[in-house]
This record gives sequence, structure tokens and C-alpha cells, in this order.
Amino acid sequence: MAETITQAARILAALATAFGLTLLVILLAHQDPQAALSALASGAFGSPYAIAETLTKTIPLLLTGLGVAIAFRARLWNIGGEGQFLVGALAASALGAYVLKSLPAFVLIPLMLLAGSAAGALWAGLAGWMRTARGVPEVISTIMLNFIAAQLLSYLLHGPMQERAHAQPASEALPLTATLPSLWPGTTLHWGLLIALGMAGVVAVFLFRTRAGFALKLVGANPEAARAAGVDVAETRLTTMLWSGGLCGLAGAVELSGVVGTLYENYSPGYGFAAVAVALLGRLNPWGIFASALFFGALNAGSGSMERSAGISANLSYVLQAITLLVLLAFQWIRWTPRRVIVPESTP
Amino acid sequence: MPNLSLHGISKRFGSTLALDGVDFDLVPGEIHALLGENGAGKSTLMNILRGLTQPSTGEISLDGHPVRFDAPQDSTRVGIGMVHQHFLLVPTFTVAENLALASPDKYPPLREAADAAKRLGWSIPFNTQVSNLPVGTQQRVEILKALLGNAQILLFDEPTAVLAPSEVEELFIVLRALRLEGRSLVFVSHKLNEVMALCDRVTILRRGKNAGTIAVSATTAEDLAQRMVGGVSETVPIISSVKTLEMREQPHNTLLSVTHLSTVGGLDSVALHDITFTLQAGETLGFAGVDGNGQAELAEVLTGLRPRSAGRITLRGREISRVTPRDLERLGIALIPPDRQRQGLALTLSIADNLTLEAVNLPRFRRGPGGIFIDRSGLRAFAAQLAADFDIRADDLSQPARSLSGGNQQKIVIARALWHKPDLLVAVSPTRGLDIAATGYIHARLRERQAEGGATVLISTELDEVAALSTRIAVLYEGKIVGIVPPETPRETLSLMMGGRTAENTLG
Repeated sequence: MAETITQAARILAALATAFGLTLLVILLAHQDPQAALSALASGAFGSPYAIAETLTKTIPLLLTGLGVAIAFRARLWNIGGEGQFLVGALAASALGAYVLKSLPAFVLIPLMLLAGSAAGALWAGLAGWMRTARGVPEVISTIMLNFIAAQLLSYLLHGPMQERAHAQPASEALPLTATLPSLWPGTTLHWGLLIALGMAGVVAVFLFRTRAGFALKLVGANPEAARAAGVDVAETRLTTMLWSGGLCGLAGAVELSGVVGTLYENYSPGYGFAAVAVALLGRLNPWGIFASALFFGALNAGSGSMERSAGISANLSYVLQAITLLVLLAFQWIRWTPRRVIVPESTP
Repeated sequence: MPNLSLHGISKRFGSTLALDGVDFDLVPGEIHALLGENGAGKSTLMNILRGLTQPSTGEISLDGHPVRFDAPQDSTRVGIGMVHQHFLLVPTFTVAENLALASPDKYPPLREAADAAKRLGWSIPFNTQVSNLPVGTQQRVEILKALLGNAQILLFDEPTAVLAPSEVEELFIVLRALRLEGRSLVFVSHKLNEVMALCDRVTILRRGKNAGTIAVSATTAEDLAQRMVGGVSETVPIISSVKTLEMREQPHNTLLSVTHLSTVGGLDSVALHDITFTLQAGETLGFAGVDGNGQAELAEVLTGLRPRSAGRITLRGREISRVTPRDLERLGIALIPPDRQRQGLALTLSIADNLTLEAVNLPRFRRGPGGIFIDRSGLRAFAAQLAADFDIRADDLSQPARSLSGGNQQKIVIARALWHKPDLLVAVSPTRGLDIAATGYIHARLRERQAEGGATVLISTELDEVAALSTRIAVLYEGKIVGIVPPETPRETLSLMMGGRTAENTLG
């Protein structure tokens, strides 16, 4: 209990520090911080429409955050959320706008989401396989796969998947039957929120109530002890990467079907990378990740309005995102440092 | 006049005394061996001399003046250099770059290093990347590093551990040359033959205490072995009290049979050769030997953590040569691994989780289709029961395992190994690093299991422990069984066997 309170205090302190640093950035840019903040707040929570926008932006962050967190819990550094997000969207678009577009919505949408997850899982699974079979560090392979995914997208949008008019590098728009229904008519909010929340529940159950989740935790904590306890470490790492990529791929499919509809070259505004910050701020806990995705979602939604009404670039939200991540890491380091110097009681 | 002397050095890590009032001195032009088992305190003493750690009490003086080493730079300044067992080289840098990195001055000390290399008769490719060099050459770079600033005192931490036999000979030639130049060398080892072949004096550490400093010419390998593993007269009260459950009248009921078992050795592992023994129910076969003679490898191959190259292992007549860790519980085998922090526990996970690492797979804790879910409250209750049964003292089982003392951590490992009453227990150094009370408790539990009819393979470098718990003692030397003898065998005989003599030779 005391541990939980100090952790909460640490997160609040980190957020406050990040907030202070952001104010400093606004001041350095010779802008009015008060105007900036009120524009930010009203853009995130100022109206029903703003709230819906915040929740809409939360969806992809929550799904990718969950995906990244699963891998991090097993001490697998999946930095490839971005690539997995893209291939997930690609697969969903291929089904929804091309191959199966004449199917009715209640079949088509689930198939698209499934295909998106499968594509993301495959993409991450490739890195997982290289790690377990050949010892290739997943940090590197997942980053490389990001580039490959981006180039694959670019190729397809200039070639086989380009829209009929061949006017620009974009895909055919999804038909209405491939679009996730609205959750709050008149706003941008769609059913993806329920899917994402459902996945948070699934991930929580997986992590805390299944044998596979226990094995994942053990492999993350001490792979040698895991092996001695009869856990198949390679298999656990591989399935962890599949889960991780599957969630990021699902995020790409949901975003396509719920918001964007059309694929184009900078399709993801960096959700796969933001996911790292989301996962860490949420302390790798599914419900914590929901809270942190909401925080970053509000930031994204608010920064748009800040740009419009206070004339401050929306990029500020990325600055705040980055500062928060760095501050969190610094605070985590403060937490770990004193523990590290404890010497084990038996000398080598 | 001794140029370096340590007086009454103690070092405490948490509840453990790693060094206990150790005296040590070094004179110019000698190679002084520091001999001891793993965990005897050799590395700690070296780290104190190097300034990597500071003694809790005690004094260090150099040429009669007291000195303090708060950091490695302090010991470098007075002319102490160290060659680490695991080289501290940057693999992607060239030799020259590594030397520059180690130099206390701002300029690359190439001339100095080249001179030293020439004196020692080495040709060192200074512009080659270190990772492309063979291990022996990397060690020479480490030695050059240690010699920078013309260090007069050189500490070698198990320098032969990483070398092939031919390279060991070459290293010895270099060490003798350095001695001839008037430098003093500390040679850390647990290999008796190396100490006998190379060194002038030897200090034996045993459980953090100095068990004697003697001239090598005045001793024998057997004497050193005996001092290393425990004096003849020394007894630990708790252990010796119960002793010898009679060699019981067993129906000839072989539980475990190992025949002609061999494994392939590696860079950091010893090969096992033609290991053959049998084990009856209710018997404890103790494996004695100087550390590094195949003990860890034997435990691993018996529990499926290491592949074998030849031979058979049968349990109750069934071949189990291809066992994997996952099968152990089903087969009635349990392992107490040698290093609880590395293989036994996940220190960042809770005590309750650590108690249930294997139990989560038991049918009674599985729920749902295919048993994919776990019964969390059932497992919590199970963990609480184990904690009570095995006297694990913790306020709260949801605390991380690292919050426990070493003794209580080890009890977690013991609890997991013993609760299901395995037919065969493989226990490796089950009391390493523990205090007397925890050791006594664990011995009592092992004895209890034996009395219930469980068979135990006990592998330990503590001769006291092996003698107190075993019904027979096998001595391992260089991956072979030298002989299997009754526990009443005199220590002198066992010591000789640990040095490689067969039982017949020592008796005859």
C-alpha cells in the first residue's frame, strides 16, 4: 500500500516537473502560457465534442501502449509499434477497401480487425523469431522493421493499392460497411473505444490470471530461473512478441476503420513511438496505461486547438510528450539507483 | 620489509561477513597465491586492494605508511595494477585505444606499453580491434594495462580460468619474468597444481578467514586442499550432532543409476568423464571436491539443464537421459541450484510468486479451458502454507524476494524443491553463504527427507557438510569420480582424493 502511494507520488512529481519544463518552453518561445494552457484545456475538455476528440485520440494510444507494455514486461524492447501499426492498417485496408469490400459490415469489420492484428503479430513475430532463433536484439530488428513497413506502405500506395484515379499516393477509401460505427453520434468517437477498453481487460486477465502471463513475468524477471523452473523461455518470448505486435496491428486497423478510412504515406503520427511513453507512464499496468493514454490523448486533442486559437504550434504536444518520457525515465532512475548498490550477500 | 601489508581486514555485506579479520602481506619479488573456494573472500580481498570496495574495518599500509583506497585511481597512483578475470576491455576499440582509455595521463601511453611488450617478448598488434584478438592476447593487453605507470604490485584474479592449457604455460613464463623484475604479484586461484608450480608463498582463505600463510616449498597440494576445505579438527556443532542415519538395510532397490555419463566441456565448464554411480532410496551420495571439478556440470546434466555426450541415466529403471526441466516434478526430481540469485529466484518478483514458480503448472491450480488460467487465491494460500512449513520469515508475501535475507531466500528454494517430496533431490551447495542457524535448518530438512526415503545427490565444496549428511562420499576431480568411500573416511584421505589420488593409493 505504502509502495503504491509512493509510486503515485513519484508519477505526480514527474508530471509536475514535465509540466513546469513545458511552461518554460512556452515562455522561451515568447508565448503567453496562460492563453496556451487555456486553449489546451478547452481543446481537450471544453465541450462534448472536445471530450469525444480526446477519447478518440486515446484509442490508438491505449492499444499500442498495451502492446508495447506486454513486451516490456518480458524485458523485450519492442520499439517497432510504429511498423506493426502500419502493417495492421495495411492489412485492414486491403481487406476492407479491396478484397472483401462487398461483404456485409458485421462480417467485414471483424475480419479487418483480425487481419490487422494478425499482420502486426506477424511483423513483431519476425523480430521475435530472429531473437529466439538467431539472437538478433529485438531493439534493432523492430526499429529496422519500422522502416521496412513504411517503405512497404509507400510502395503499395504508389502501386497495387493506389486509388482508382491515380492522382495521389493514397489507398481507396473504405466503404461505409467497413467503417466502425459511431459511439457518440455527432462526434468523432467510434466503437474502437470499446474495443480498446476490452483489450485492456483481456491484457489484464492475460498478465495476471493466466499461466502464460505468469511465465511472461518470470522470463522478464529472471530468464535463467524461468528455465530452471521449466518455462520454455524462447517460446514465451515469441508469443509475447506476437501479442505485442497483434495489439499494435489492431490499433492500426481500428484507427483506419474508425477515423481515417484512407491510407496515405505518413499514415501514423508516431503512435507506435508514443506508445513507449504511454506504457512507461502507465507503469506497464493495463489500467495505468488507460489513464496515461487518456492523458496523452487529451494532450493531442488540446494541442490542435492551441494551435488554432493561441497560435502555438501543435508540435508543442510532442515536446511535452518527450519531456514527460524523459522526466519519467529520470525518476525511474532515481528509484532504481539506491537498490543497485546493494551487494548480494554472498561474494562471488 | 613487507612493502604491502593488510591488517585485520573485515568486510561485511548485509548480514554476511565476507572477510573476517584477514591479515595479508606482500614482499617485493614474490608471487603470492591467494587460494580459496568460491565465496571464501578472495575476490573481495582483491577488490579492497584495488579500491573497488572499502573494508569495514582494518588497515592497509604501504612501506609502513597507512593508505586508503577509495577508488581504483588511488591504488593505481601507488603502483597497484589489476588483471581482471573478466577483461575490462572495450571490444570495439583497438589495443591502443584501450590503453589510452586506461592511462591516468592524457596522452596515449603507447611507447611505455610497447617497451613493456618488447621486454616480455610479445608482439602486440596495437592497431587491431580487441574483439578480433584471441583470448590469450586480450589477456596480455590487460597485463599491459595493469603495468601502465610501472605498477610494482600486480593483482591477477583467476588469470588461468579463461586460458587453454598451453596458454597457461606461457602466462606462467610471463609472471615469472615480472617477478624477476622485482614486482610483487598476487595470484588468485583455486587450482592447487598452479599454485604449487608457480608461487612462492600462499595464503589460504576459508570462509572469509585467513587459514594460514605458508611458503609453497614447505607444503604439499594435499595439505593445501585440506586447509582450503576445512581443518581436520574443525567441527561445526549443529552439523555434527545428528550424524549418520545408519547405512540402512535396504532391499536392493536402486533408485537412480548413472552409467558412463560424459559431457563436453566449454570455455567456462569442465567436461565430465565416464561418471558411474547408483543411488538407493533413503541414501545421500555426497560429491566432494575442490570447486570447478565438474560439480555444477553434474547437477545440470542430472536435471536436464545440460546435454550429455554419452552414457545413461535411469530413474527406477526408466531412462531419463533426455529429461528437461519441465519434466522434473512429474518424475519426482527436484533441484536446489548452486546460485539462488541466478537460477533459483526471480528477485524482483514477490515472495509468493517465487514460491509458486512451478506450482502454477499443477492441475489443481489450473482453471478454465485447457487450464490456461491460474487459481490466484489458491496459489496465495499455497504460498502462505509453504512459507509457514519452511519457516520463511517475511511480514508480507507480496514483498519482492530481494527484501529477504539470504537464509530466507534459500528457504524459498528449499521449499520449492522439497514440498512435493521428490524421490530424487539434487542439492548443490544448499547452504552457500548462509549463517549457522539457516544452515542448521536446511540440514535438518535434508535429513528429514532422507529419513522419509528420499534419495539425495548432495554436491558441495564444504567437506563438513558432505561428511555430515552423506551415507557415501564420491570425490570428483577434473570431471571424474576418483572414488566412492564411506563417510567415516578420514579427512586426510579425502583431501588426497580431492587432489586426484585414487582411494586405493591413499589407503595403500
